[in-house]
Amino acid sequence: MTEKRPLTLALFYCQNIPDSTRGERQALEEQYGSSLRLFPIPCSGRLESLHLLRALEEFADAAYVITCPEGNCRYFEGNFRARKRVEVAGDYLAAIGLERERVGFVANEKDNPRCLAALAGEIMNRLASLAPSPVLNKKTGQKGDAP
Amino acid sequence: MITAEQKPIGEIRKMIEPYKRILVLGCGSCVAECAAGGEKETGMLASALRMAAKMEEKEVVIHERTLDRQCVKDFVIQLDDVMDHYDAVLSLGCGAGVQAVADMYPERPIIPALNTVFLGETKEQGLWVESCVGCGDCMLFFFGGICPLTRCSKQLLNGPCGGSMNGRCEVDPDLPCAWQLIIDRLERFDALDRLESIYPPKTWSKKQGKGPRKIIREDQQRV
Repeated sequence: MTEKRPLTLALFYCQNIPDSTRGERQALEEQYGSSLRLFPIPCSGRLESLHLLRALEEFADAAYVITCPEGNCRYFEGNFRARKRVEVAGDYLAAIGLERERVGFVANEKDNPRCLAALAGEIMNRLASLAPSPVLNKKTGQKGDAP
Repeated sequence: MITAEQKPIGEIRKMIEPYKRILVLGCGSCVAECAAGGEKETGMLASALRMAAKMEEKEVVIHERTLDRQCVKDFVIQLDDVMDHYDAVLSLGCGAGVQAVADMYPERPIIPALNTVFLGETKEQGLWVESCVGCGDCMLFFFGGICPLTRCSKQLLNGPCGGSMNGRCEVDPDLPCAWQLIIDRLERFDALDRLESIYPPKTWSKKQGKGPRKIIREDQQRV
């Protein structure tokens, strides 16, 4: 049986999200402690499915990305790509028997853009229904590059 | 370019089940271009397999590495130093890559993680289309650079069939009629006379039937 422990969220976010400066990131990290690991990226299109899978493999119970409103990407299609990459990561999880909900995509709203802290808080609340990842705290399945 | 797609993870997991130390081996050439077996895909598959192993509490070591090419011995030889660490290699190379690695390390099972699909071109980002069947007797000159064997649904060498409508194939209207394309191109080059010849049935013995085909270029070989 999986032991009860605090969940960890790996949160990738586009740096064009309102109020997502370094100071605001540090404040969030202080607020949530080790439950929240933040990864600012210059555009959500920089996110790869691999980033999500690696996070889940190594430390996270869930891995999400926050993007600009769809259709409002500074680089035109970054958030469309991010959505697809989250789906691909979800396919991998489903194929090995993990819940798809361990990866997620949250686009900011065009008309009512919210700040990083609000979006992060919303995602943290979503995780309440999620069990700790069965992947973590197991010593098997060693990772690594070939020697 | 050789195109491939990753096998379902369930199928891959069954094949690697007996092994305890596995090298997931990517290839940085064709299968990287078609996003099936490059460094990124190798990392994703290895991560997924490790997570699956952890969930089942299996004692297994899964490492990953990507060679620039799996189908050239000079690149594969880089594995000499590490191969002793593994019971098996899960290759994300094409069929040629898998066999090249297997030839180099006959004592190790080399397991294919991809299904090799066709010779094709990158039409646009994320779209690859078959463009060559590797017949061994290229006739593109006669057909204005468009291969009827690959691109005509009926593989007609003496087309068109007469069924196309508005330049679309009658078998699959999503496809352009290859023969319409051929005629348009030859017309542009003022070379429609090439279609006055009757092209005999293809000599498929140049493609298959005598074991694996070989290309020998003495000028490229070591003295």
